Order: sequence, then structure tokens, then C-alpha cells
Amino acid sequence: MKRGHVLGLGAAAIVAVAALAFFMGADAPDADSTDGKSAASGTSVLPAGNDSAASAASGSTGPYSAAGLQARQAQLALWQARYERAEQLYASYRDATRYPHDSRPIAENPDQIRPFAPVTEELKLLNDKGEPIKGVRLRTSQERVFLSAGETVRFSIQAVDENNLPLSLTIRNAAARSIADSRTPVKTIQALLSFTDNGSGADDTAGDGNYTARLSPAAQGFENYNGTIRTLAEVTANGQQGVVQLDVIYTPDVPATWGGVREAVEAGSLNFYIKLNVRQAGRYVVSGRVDDANGVPFALVQFNDELTAGTREVRLQVFGALIRDKAPGFPLKLRDVDGFLLIPDTFPDRAMMARQPGVIYTSARYNRDRFSPNEWTSEERERYLTEYGKDAETARQQVQDLTPK
Amino acid sequence: MRLSLSGFFSSTSARKLRIIGVVLFGLAGGVYATNYSLWVNGRSSNAQPGNHADFSYWGPASTAAGVNKVSVNWDGKSRVADQNYRIRDALDCYCTGNNWCYVAAHSAGNLQIGYALSLYGGSARTKKNASPNSAGVCGATDGSTQTGWNIKWVDVAAGAGGGSELANVGSWAVSDALTSDLKTATARAMYDHNQTRAKWFYMFAGSKGTLYSAVLPGQDDEAVAYHSAGGVSGSGGAGFCNPSDWFCNDLTLGTAANEGGAAKWAYHSVKFRDDSESLNHYTNGNWGGVVSKVRADMATYAN
Repeated sequence: MKRGHVLGLGAAAIVAVAALAFFMGADAPDADSTDGKSAASGTSVLPAGNDSAASAASGSTGPYSAAGLQARQAQLALWQARYERAEQLYASYRDATRYPHDSRPIAENPDQIRPFAPVTEELKLLNDKGEPIKGVRLRTSQERVFLSAGETVRFSIQAVDENNLPLSLTIRNAAARSIADSRTPVKTIQALLSFTDNGSGADDTAGDGNYTARLSPAAQGFENYNGTIRTLAEVTANGQQGVVQLDVIYTPDVPATWGGVREAVEAGSLNFYIKLNVRQAGRYVVSGRVDDANGVPFALVQFNDELTAGTREVRLQVFGALIRDKAPGFPLKLRDVDGFLLIPDTFPDRAMMARQPGVIYTSARYNRDRFSPNEWTSEERERYLTEYGKDAETARQQVQDLTPK
Repeated sequence: MRLSLSGFFSSTSARKLRIIGVVLFGLAGGVYATNYSLWVNGRSSNAQPGNHADFSYWGPASTAAGVNKVSVNWDGKSRVADQNYRIRDALDCYCTGNNWCYVAAHSAGNLQIGYALSLYGGSARTKKNASPNSAGVCGATDGSTQTGWNIKWVDVAAGAGGGSELANVGSWAVSDALTSDLKTATARAMYDHNQTRAKWFYMFAGSKGTLYSAVLPGQDDEAVAYHSAGGVSGSGGAGFCNPSDWFCNDLTLGTAANEGGAAKWAYHSVKFRDDSESLNHYTNGNWGGVVSKVRADMATYAN
């Protein structure tokens, strides 16, 4: 820290002198490096032994030795690269934070548009030596990864060939088991599952080769369990045997329940307020999707903050400038809202609230002029823009000093 | 999202105004600013949790790897959620107040920094003094707080933010709690990977994988496939490759969608793709594998 203090003071003084010289119309001095921090870091990209030559090169007006010229060119290339990145960081941060971090264009978040779509994956079927069996792929899906209380999860398994055509499949000995994270012996909970392709129960269509099963933790012995439940299924696809693993993470308690929704235009933005009956205080993370009048996904809105127990409201903000820029048709529709209590430093790290699928609230119709075109401002944003700007200016100055006159 | 390189200094007057701001900021209290380079390890059996001076996971501590480098050691085997306080402690130490950080992460360290930023990146952080105790916890400066941390950008080597198929099929020799988090479905559902609070994740992806190439889709570094190391959004299991492979969609450089249309997570940019298939996953105790590329990037840009 002491070195940092000294360097910081030195760097600030040098920047101040350089700025004063600049404003007095003088060329920035090329005799003194302004790179106090990197000099201290020992992170020069120059080959060992070249530092002194580089220093000498940048510290004089020439003529240079061959080594000095080479070192100076290397320094110039380094600072040009740093300047390019610094300028890019400044510009991209400035543009990205035109809207706050919790009110974003949905196009930035493609995997958040349909949050309740099943998680689908493909894997290769492995033999008992762990080698993949050629021409056989397993396609799995699960409705969710995290669930709580009375929620259930539907699994599916399908075998396909390299052309995505269904292969014959049988599933035996499928069971869901609790998985202990520690080596401390704990009683294993186990429940048998039945994967079927007969169009009944969890299965939608008979005979399509897609075998499904539903796990209901609270009804199958896991009602007091907190942790990973792993479903293992022995499969035989096209005559070849293998195993499929599907994990979910379960918590028995629901930390809060949903209430109604209201809206308000405040400070030039449209705010949706969702009522929560909070049973367990803590940090809640809530996300919702906003579609325009035609059902086209428009925005991702989020809440992440502490709530005390009791009846509370979480604010999901559709930022004014976002509305002005993207011009969605009104009314806006709030849909597919999910939320959980984030529990620090433990596993499971969350207790899920019940999903709210579909449109849960439709806004009034507004003229776009009701909303503010102003970009987002905050201490955080100013802090970042100041720092990125400082870095860009430092690098620009270095490039200027090192560029042959 | 796409960069608007409109030019930071579009005019002389704008430049002068910016300089005034910088000088005033420095005189007003920025004079104690220090930059740090934080290294967040992946799976490990030898990291010393809380010891910020222990670089045994990475390689010789004398190697240049960014200004004022710090090793954010977590245990490398527990659940991400269980150990994430180690990362948040380090970020509080070095990346609050007037201090700023560059972050480098390897493998499961990708999950750790992504989790911290996505779920805690907008929380109130107490400003700390960058002097950690043996547990890696620093003291408060003046008791004040700030929103989130001061992080300039994040470099990720062989990122496991999207999980690994090796965890899905139980191919890893170890079966610790971390392996459960590394299943592709679990890793991708753990947090909103797009929520970096507009900080860039520069992704470095290796492809010298042979041993598990039959299990890992597309190109891999022997532990993670390109879909994870390249920050590809969506489900796991998708194969992405180098341009030389005609039978597989390309992992594109930068932020552009990959061949076939799969997008990357927001604020994720592929900085290095191992077209020569020469770098694997492992540091080998000497800043090796694809970590070598991140180390060089940190040495160049983390100043």
C-alpha cells in the first residue's frame, strides 16, 4: 500500500503538470514517463534487458541507438494497444449504461427471453469403458434446474442417430437420489421414476420415442431435503447400454409468495411494482420480461436487493430512455416472472419462489412523450466513466509522447 | 451492445474538459488510487484459501502477470456458492474506494467471478484497505460503502462458465461438490451470465484436447469445450470449432454471433481462439496452457 500511495501521489502530480502544460499550449514533455504504475509493476512486455533502453529512448529527443529506437517502437506499440482498449472500454461502457443495469433491451439477453423453456441438451452415449458409441446421441430435457416446495420437474430422454432420426430406446432402473456434498455419512433418499412413452402422465405423445417422467420431490420423500437430487437412468439405445444423469437442486421452503401488480410513471420511467409477502428476509432476485403490444419481446427487468419480512413491493423498471429509443407499442405486457431468495455462502444458495408464467400484468397505454429521453445517471456510472476516461487520456498522452515528431 | 467506436476524444475541447475532470478527480481524493490484478483459480487441490500471496496454482510468483498481482485463492473443490465469499472478500479488499482491479480467471474461476458480479455486483460494498489478514479479509477504511466493485475488465482462460460435459457424464476422476456445479445445465442456470454490469469478459479458448474429445463437443482443451470457453449462450452440448473444421460451426472472435447463429452472453468477447490447437487447459504450475495467453494479456494491459 505504501508504494501505491507514493505512486499514486506521483502519478497525480505528473498528470496535473502534464495537464497544466497542455493548457498552457506547450507540448507534453516527452522526457518523463507518466507511467508510474506500470514501471512499478514490472509488467513491461519488452524483452528482459530492454527496459533501460526504452527508458532512455523515451527520455530523450534522439538521435537514438538502434536498440533505443527498437525499444521506443515497442513502447509505442504497447501504448497504442492500451489506448485502443481504453477507448473501447470508455465508449462501450458509456453506451451500455445509457440504461441502468436492471432495465435492459431483451436483445442483449437471448437466453433470458424464454426462461421457463425446458433445458435441452445433447450428449453422446458412452459404453462401459467411457468411450462414445458411434451413431447414437441422447437428447435430454428438464423443465427446470432449481425448484422448491411442491414444484415438480419433468424429464425427457430421446435417442437419435446422426441424422436426428429416433432410435429405439428402453429405460430401466430410473431413480432419483439425494446427493451428499460432504463426506459425512447421511441417509440417502431415493425414489423410483418411470420413464414412459405411452401418452399418459408426464408424456405428451405416445410412441414418439421421447420418454418422459416427472419428479415430485415433496411427494416422493424429499419434502425435508435441501440439496441436489440426481436422477440416474439406465438406457439402452439401438441395443447399446449407457447411463443418463439429470440433476435438480431442491429446497423445501418457499421464502415469499407473490401478490398483485401495479404500475406508475415515475421520474420519466414506467415502473411495475409487484407485491411480495416475504416470510424470510434477505436478498431477493426477481426477473421479468416485457413484451410490446404485439407480443414482441422488448425488455428484461430485474430486481436485486434486500427485503425485510412482511408485505413488500419490488420495483421492475422499464427505463424511460429505453422506451423512447426502442419505441415499443403500448400496452406493455409483463410476463414470465421468476424470483428467489439468495442465501449467501451456503448450498443450496437460493430458495425459489413459484414461477409466474405467462402475462401477469398489462400496462396502460401511454404516449411516448410521457417518458424521459435522458440517459441513466448514478454515482457508479460516473465513477466508471471517470476511471475509464483517465485511462484513455493517460494512454493517449503516452502515444503522443512516443510518436516520432 | 455492439461497440460504438465514436472516438473517446472527438474534439480538442472535449479532450481538455476530460483532462480537467481527471485532474480534479485526482486532486479531490484519487491520489491514493492503486490498481491490482486479481487471479481467480479453478479446480484445485493445492490453493491456500484466503492466502493472497500464494501463486502455487498458477506458477512462479515472480512472473509478470499484471500490476500488483494478487492470488484470490478459494479451495477449488467446494460448491461455487459455498466459496464465493472468498472472491467477494478479495474484491472488497482491492476493488473498492479509490482502488481498481483487473481480474483474470481460469476454468471454474469463471463461474466464481461471474456469480459474484451477476448476483452481488450491485450490492453495497464496504470500502476496504487492501491489507488482508490471514483469512483474506481486509479492514474498512472510513466505514462508507459504494455500489458494486471497481473492476475494469475480466480476462477468462478456459472458462467453465458454461460447464463441462465431463461433469455431465462423470468422466472426471474426482467427484467433489464442484463437479456437480460444473454440469452444463447447472452451471448455465446458476446465474444470469449476461449480467456483468457492463464489464467486459475477454474469453481465451484453447483447443489442444485429445483425451476427452469424444465426450466434449466441438473443439476442447481437454476439460471444457468451446461453447463454454467462448461464452456461448444457450444450452450446453453444442459443438463449436476453429474455422479449419468444415463440419462444425465456427466459434467467432469478438462479440459476433457464432456460425449457425448462437449468440454469446452479453459483454463476452472471444479474444483468443486456438486455431493452431496448441494450448490445453492446464497451467502445469508454470502459467501454462491457455492461461499463458491470459497472462500475456494481463502483463500488457493490466497496468
